Amino acid sequence: MKVDVALFAYLADHQPDGLGGRHARAFDLPEGTTIADVITDLALPDQPRIVFVNNRHAAEDSTLHDGDRLAIFPPVAGG
Amino acid sequence: MPANEADQRARLAASSVAIIGCGGLGSNVAAMLLRSGVRALTLIDFDRVEESNLNRQLFFRDQLGRPKTEALAETLLRIDPGARLTLVTECVTADNLVGFLGKADVIVEAVDGADTKAMIVGACMDSLPGVPLVTASGLAGLDSANAIVTERLADDLYLVGDLTSDVRAGLPLFASRVMVAAAHQAHAAIRRLLGFDEA
Repeated sequence: MKVDVALFAYLADHQPDGLGGRHARAFDLPEGTTIADVITDLALPDQPRIVFVNNRHAAEDSTLHDGDRLAIFPPVAGG
Repeated sequence: MPANEADQRARLAASSVAIIGCGGLGSNVAAMLLRSGVRALTLIDFDRVEESNLNRQLFFRDQLGRPKTEALAETLLRIDPGARLTLVTECVTADNLVGFLGKADVIVEAVDGADTKAMIVGACMDSLPGVPLVTASGLAGLDSANAIVTERLADDLYLVGDLTSDVRAGLPLFASRVMVAAAHQAHAAIRRLLGFDEA
């Protein structure tokens, strides 16, 4: 299945193409892949993050589906 | 969308905004919203005013030691004695947060910690779908103020900041840059209340 994956801020350096940038890349993933699987495969750091699928907040144990748009945003401290 | 300024003012006067965190962002957001005509505010913060806050937060030396919610309310009522303020002097958690937010038309996330920011965004988007949330990330340091922007990250989620400047990286908090972010947050809330939208 195809899933678009966008990584924001410093997470963008973890895109497999190494090019950085927040624009989405198309990932070809096996059926049943969860968001947590993607996070593990990309070796994202264990830092606070907000996960969206199709513009809605999603739990990391959610299963992805063909055509989904996954976005992961890491908030940073300061207020 | 209200057609003229009188209608816009009326819309804002009938609106309520909940502000989570009354520090550098939240205290200034509250004042800007009130001056813009939003007269119903819920102020949420567990902390007390400290001397180190005075370089960027809307507090005064004679308020040191007082709960931030109470000190801020005192100042806001000097601006508008008719302001309708709800004070919540509690530490927010995933379990209690939504109960504090009432029927806010817009929620402003203005806390310090990244983990708390993530918790707030998740709790609001899960439990209060359709209620716009304005969050902030990246306002520390001395990069250009122009790097701080407002963008729409999801349907009802607006993000203010440069996304990267982390206090934990040792970057200082300057009033000038913090208030740019606060002004972005307040303006995003106002625009959403009036029916405008970010790209």
